[in-house]
Amino acid sequence: MSNPYLEGLASIAPEIVLTVTALAALVFDLVVKGRESVRVGYLSLAGLAATAWFLFGQWGVESHMAYGMVSVDQFGNFFKLFTVAALAVVVLYVMHDRRERTSGVGEYYFLLLGAAIGIFFMVSTNNLLLMVLGFELLSLSSYSLAGFHKGNRKSAEASMKYVIFGGLSTGIMVYGISLLYGLTGTIDLSLMATSPNLVAQVGSNPIPFGIATVLILAGFAYKISLAPFHFWTPDVYEGAPTPVTTFLAVASKAAGFGALLRFLAALFLGQGATALGGYGERVALMLGLLAAITMTLGNFAALRQSSLKRMLAYSSIAHAGYVVVGIACMTREGFSAAMYYLAAYYFMNLGAFGFLVYFEGVTGSDTIDSLKGMGFKAPLISIIMVAFLVSLTGLPPTVGFYGKYLLFVEGVDEGLLWLVMIAALNSVVSLFYYLRVAKALFLEKPAEQDAAPAPVLTGFVTVLGLATVGFGLYVAPLESWATRSLDLIRGVAGS
Amino acid sequence: MGLGAYIAVSAALFALGIVAILVRRNVLYVLMGIEMILNAANINFVAFNRFNHAEGSQSNLDGRMFAIFVIILAAAEAAVALAIVLNVFHLFNSVKPAEADLLRE
Repeated sequence: MSNPYLEGLASIAPEIVLTVTALAALVFDLVVKGRESVRVGYLSLAGLAATAWFLFGQWGVESHMAYGMVSVDQFGNFFKLFTVAALAVVVLYVMHDRRERTSGVGEYYFLLLGAAIGIFFMVSTNNLLLMVLGFELLSLSSYSLAGFHKGNRKSAEASMKYVIFGGLSTGIMVYGISLLYGLTGTIDLSLMATSPNLVAQVGSNPIPFGIATVLILAGFAYKISLAPFHFWTPDVYEGAPTPVTTFLAVASKAAGFGALLRFLAALFLGQGATALGGYGERVALMLGLLAAITMTLGNFAALRQSSLKRMLAYSSIAHAGYVVVGIACMTREGFSAAMYYLAAYYFMNLGAFGFLVYFEGVTGSDTIDSLKGMGFKAPLISIIMVAFLVSLTGLPPTVGFYGKYLLFVEGVDEGLLWLVMIAALNSVVSLFYYLRVAKALFLEKPAEQDAAPAPVLTGFVTVLGLATVGFGLYVAPLESWATRSLDLIRGVAGS
Repeated sequence: MGLGAYIAVSAALFALGIVAILVRRNVLYVLMGIEMILNAANINFVAFNRFNHAEGSQSNLDGRMFAIFVIILAAAEAAVALAIVLNVFHLFNSVKPAEADLLRE
């Protein structure tokens, strides 16, 4: 293949497959109509499998650019595989959610796949224009998904709050990018750090660069629900349909982290690191402070929740705080610890939401009280849920424990002892509200109500549970994946 | 007119947008505030493109391209946002976020 255009097409094959799948899902939905829409779900799963196959085809391929905009590298590959895996689980949840099945509409899958296309471009580009477009494709799909049940007042309210906060944050981020463009004369992140204009500017008066950085970070902070941009999270997570909440809590949040890591790595870890002086350290300090506020806020608010869904929302805010501990280290080891923690977060959070999908189908409610004694009626999925809770708290022998261990070790190495102390204290606080769920399940009188079995969903959650414990005992594969993925981001970051 | 004038206008527009979002109780004004912020960014992009690449380097149109895409993006966002607001209006008979308050702790 000598034609550069065709070679570029091969580089973005996963994105093309995903786009075709999304369009096919939309058309297929029109053909099958109504209650048969589960078939659209199978089509989506097939498309996701094909996308994953192409992604594995790019495994270990040397980092390169396609069309001067899309960087094909192991770092992007990590987040793309993460997205595909998360989306496959979400599609399965949609197909097996009793509440969703009754309303049975296939546009669900189209919107989910559209959001995934946004994520793909967002995490695999150094070009800020393409990043913003991916970011916005993800956001627009998420707004519609949050308000998917048009007749449901909670869902409608959630989508309105989401669109207001999202629009504001995107606006602020785009304004920040315009300032950064003015300072550097380029919208390519890998050229920015070495831009002579920027280096001269930061040398004489660093304030404009500071303003631009803070404004851009505001956009990322909203996506990963970092304080003070977390206000939308509990309301949207509670009001949105549960599979959508799962998507927002796992895939959308990871995409925000992916773009944030690439942004910070290009500016402060690449060649520009020396040119930008001690600026990276100041950004790191700011992120550290925000992380401390975020996890404290998230954990203490979670203590007071009566709804399991809202509690998981606050818990996901707290977990974003833990991940940012790794980012605040501003080292490659810290970044790879953050990526490892995201992989851990994938297993335990998807599992916990799978449990929620199952029990909402059984009891029709998301309160912790409604779970009382249900552990005896559906023992397998409840025991697995306890494993997720243990992992979310960060106790051994689970993947969550090793993730926190890596983050804390790296934090102490980088002199962030105060932050690690706060994070450790927060983990203790989180034990209280996670254990409340376990207590409701097993330490109450057996419930009167019977729990109808859902074999596929239970089997699926069991697999996630085994992975949570398995990767906690045998840590090497995930860790080497996270570390190697980061090795290759630098090739593109221009160092 | 120098670059400073353009930046001043865009900064003022940005500040007005933020004020509109914080002060107004009606969601439609909030959406207008968001549009103002995006357009403030557009002024910046076009102005910086004109002044940073003034001498001969006509080929670099990054900033102007960005502005065009942001206009498209704002239109898409307005379409989705208005659809959502319309749905909220049907269910709550109001377009004021304060009156839609089912989601509380």
